[in-house]
Amino acid sequence: MLQYSDAAIIGGGVVGSAIARELSRYDLSIAVIEENPDVVCEASGRNSAVVHGGFAYDRGSLKARFCVEGNRLMDELSQELGFRFIRCGKVLVGNTDEDLKQLERTISQGLDNGATGLELIDGQRLHELVPAVTGSFAMLSRNSGIMDPFLFTINLAENAAMNGARYFLSHKVISISRRNGRYIIHTPSDDFSVKWVFNAAGKGAKAISDMLGITGYNVIGSKGNYLVLDKRLGPLLPMPVYPVPSNTYMGIHVTPTVDGNVTVGPDAVNTDDFSYYGVPADRMEYLRESASALWPHIDRKDVIRTFSGILSKWVDRNGVIQDFRIEVRDDIAPCAVNLIGIESPGLTAAVPIACYAISLMAKREDLRLKDDFNPIHYTAKRFADMSEEEREKAIASDSHYGSLVCSCEKVTEAEIIRAIHNPLGVHTMTGIKYRTRAMMGNCQAGFCQMRIESLLEKELGLRAEDVRYLRGSSWVLAGKMREG
Amino acid sequence: MLMRKDAVIIGGGPAGLAAAVALHKLGVRDIVILERESQLGGILRQCIHDGFGLQRFGCSLSGPEYASIFIEEVRRLGIEYHTDATVVSLSAAREIEAVTPEGILCYHARAVVLTMGCRERSRGSVMIPGERPSGVFTAGSAQAYMNIYNRMPGHEAVILGSGDIGLIMARRLTLEGAHVNAVFEIQDHPNGLERNIVQCLEDYGIPLYLRHTVTDIHGNSRLEGVTVSKVDEHSRPIAGTEKFYPCDTLILSVGLRPDTELLLDAGIELDPRTHGASVDEHLMTSAAGIFSSGNVLHVHDLVDYVSLESEQLASSVSRYLSKGFSSDRALKVRCGRGIGSTVPQKVSSGDGFTLSLRFDAVMENVVVKVSQDGRDILKKRMRKANPAEMVRLDIGSGATACSGDLEVSVE
Amino acid sequence: MRKALTCIICPNGCPLEAEISDAGITVKGNLCIRGEEYAKEEVLDPKRTISSSIRLLHGDMEIVSVRLNRPVPKAMIFPIMEAIREARAEAPVHIGDVLIPDVLSTGADVIATRNVARVEEKV
Repeated sequence: MLQYSDAAIIGGGVVGSAIARELSRYDLSIAVIEENPDVVCEASGRNSAVVHGGFAYDRGSLKARFCVEGNRLMDELSQELGFRFIRCGKVLVGNTDEDLKQLERTISQGLDNGATGLELIDGQRLHELVPAVTGSFAMLSRNSGIMDPFLFTINLAENAAMNGARYFLSHKVISISRRNGRYIIHTPSDDFSVKWVFNAAGKGAKAISDMLGITGYNVIGSKGNYLVLDKRLGPLLPMPVYPVPSNTYMGIHVTPTVDGNVTVGPDAVNTDDFSYYGVPADRMEYLRESASALWPHIDRKDVIRTFSGILSKWVDRNGVIQDFRIEVRDDIAPCAVNLIGIESPGLTAAVPIACYAISLMAKREDLRLKDDFNPIHYTAKRFADMSEEEREKAIASDSHYGSLVCSCEKVTEAEIIRAIHNPLGVHTMTGIKYRTRAMMGNCQAGFCQMRIESLLEKELGLRAEDVRYLRGSSWVLAGKMREG
Repeated sequence: MLMRKDAVIIGGGPAGLAAAVALHKLGVRDIVILERESQLGGILRQCIHDGFGLQRFGCSLSGPEYASIFIEEVRRLGIEYHTDATVVSLSAAREIEAVTPEGILCYHARAVVLTMGCRERSRGSVMIPGERPSGVFTAGSAQAYMNIYNRMPGHEAVILGSGDIGLIMARRLTLEGAHVNAVFEIQDHPNGLERNIVQCLEDYGIPLYLRHTVTDIHGNSRLEGVTVSKVDEHSRPIAGTEKFYPCDTLILSVGLRPDTELLLDAGIELDPRTHGASVDEHLMTSAAGIFSSGNVLHVHDLVDYVSLESEQLASSVSRYLSKGFSSDRALKVRCGRGIGSTVPQKVSSGDGFTLSLRFDAVMENVVVKVSQDGRDILKKRMRKANPAEMVRLDIGSGATACSGDLEVSVE
Repeated sequence: MRKALTCIICPNGCPLEAEISDAGITVKGNLCIRGEEYAKEEVLDPKRTISSSIRLLHGDMEIVSVRLNRPVPKAMIFPIMEAIREARAEAPVHIGDVLIPDVLSTGADVIATRNVARVEEKV
């Protein structure tokens, strides 16, 4: 089917969804075209979930500018969109004179970038802040923090959808043509006729850029592997602990999550396979050893999961990593906002990146604000966070709140059912997981996945063999054992 | 509303049911069982194979049948129980909060009986490398899909780990028309009972490869295959021995761990060997009045012993409620040569008790010895020592002296 | 001919060796008489029970678990599985209910091993 809209955003990850949400402030029809069945399948859901301070980027770079802006915006975004963000601060620990010099340079660069709350602290203060950390001194960044990367992205997308943006999931763009001043974007199921295109395709951005005729970008993948530790470890780590950084790599760090787990990683291995997320055995051991030099509580027995993410880095001819590139090439591809090399700190910077991308459109198009844009994304309080009285009340209003499906993360049937009927129409097992935290606990879905699978069948009228795990043909079950 | 109870039993599987029935028969009637599933019976509900009850009832029952004997008894005696009731918090002061569709249940119990069973080790916890497609199941999840939910996990399977559920699932999948390529075990001995090796693998021509493990998982949507490697004596994969097995289903039977989330909440001391609570000979944990038995205490291989242990627990609870314990001493039970773990881990009175132990290696013609201060309390000769099989020894009352730690070892 | 077996009657798991000749079968390695009986049966006519599930209509579960109430020759396992797959039962069922009597004339019944209540058709 041919779908008409004023603007199409290719890629529904955190940047695409931030563009969709910010663009839905205007009187425009918007289509978001995403190849995966959900919006957090790639880098947006596969990272350290750290809200960065903006000190580890070159002076004058877009990375520095948008990171500092994104960090400042995060409290307001967290309020509006209802995802968890904790401004817990973070430390970069050092031991040598060289480390000290590098941290001093980092602070000076950070201050020039507009970051605040940066200071050098001595070993005693460091150990007060983070007990058991290994290091003689540190740089403290008070404004750094941690967030829920899944719900940040999902709630941006849902808020965009509620303000009129239409999401086309499982739509992979295969070609783009230009006819009569409009772009025709082809996917195997639908074609889209649009005036404006935003290329927010992340790992696919180079391919989309090529389709738009903007060729010549060299993008490499940098894969980072992670370990996830049990929630018992979270209380021992009040804030992320990093080694001394360079401007292109943060180093393997230990990070508490907003849910109380601890992640260890990432390493950085160059790759040209953007779809391979396998975690090799030697990397697991390497992560454990490297991070143990910073923090002593990393034990194999506490590992509950591993994962990896891939950053798409724009590099020059000599392999030197470049800044974010956000451009409109009026000469080659008018009315196309092209975003290249959106890597870390893309999560922190997503909304400023989106606003900048839209400003490039606004220079060329008369944009009118809608009067009915609603920035508030309503999110119900999670059962796990409720007081006993609140729980009583919730159960009295809906008895599904009294039925715990995931006992590790205390997720109720009411929350699973609400997630199944999410506004984006995501119907995968992982879609439920990212929205509710069910299956993310210590037992890793051992007890609850059967009930969640049944609920997906029942609520959506699916056959057992039609339930999908994450992407493509990731069927969960072969079907019924006894039919009839 | 806070309700007071003599005993609250958390978990309505075989351990909780046996404890409840025994408590009732001992005259402790003000009790309640809290079960998170919609039916009593625990993991036995999905264990439809037979072989349960040989020790206790002298006949071979399926899991649901074994459970039903206790469930009928619970009903006949009128013991209070709540299903769909998930305990979300437990304190060392024996306060319990459970969530049910009818509302929150809050109890203050004079005694708490922890019988929550165990959970399976997951792919993440054993750190199997590779991609994350669908089609990787723990054996128990696959068993629940098939035996409770009427769902088939897949067509072409590989099984990692020779634990009993893995072996049982090899047969179960085969009977239902799936093809099981092989079972791989990283250790040099099978982890399941001998009869399951014979009846679940040999009968169906399913090969068991010892000293092999899965070293890579392939597929970015549904599982496409696994790489299996031989391992050396330190369980490290040997380069060059990799072999690819195409399959759409990987079943993990890589170990069970006591489900101790609530114990950790309550600050109850755990034993790193059993991964369950550290208990005395009355099966009382480090928190006064909180007792534990069954798989949440230490993973058993036979349910018959879970029932027996829970009945022993009931006698302790009954005595505790009527007289209390005078724990004037706390002797440790040490694991000496050849011993992997014991329950109890400490002894506080001269009462007789059952000592459960597991060996740490396969051995032949051994003598198990329990000694105190160089004095032998008990010696038992055994033809075979197999870590996959729990051994229970009765220590008579008065056998232990007032001071000096106990040591269990193999001669 | 010799055949190596492991006795599965009790947890001892004796390693058995059955020597098969014209004179009959002699068994070595067994600690008790049950081992000898087991080895002879395993050589002459191995028998097994099986467990599975039968589709249940109008039950509060889709299936009811079942088992054979006595062992059958090993060769009958897959034919019996076919019969179990074909069968339908009507809820309610109770433990011990015979769902397929004398299955395939083996003398064994397929019996229910779970109580499942009846639920009326939802409209």
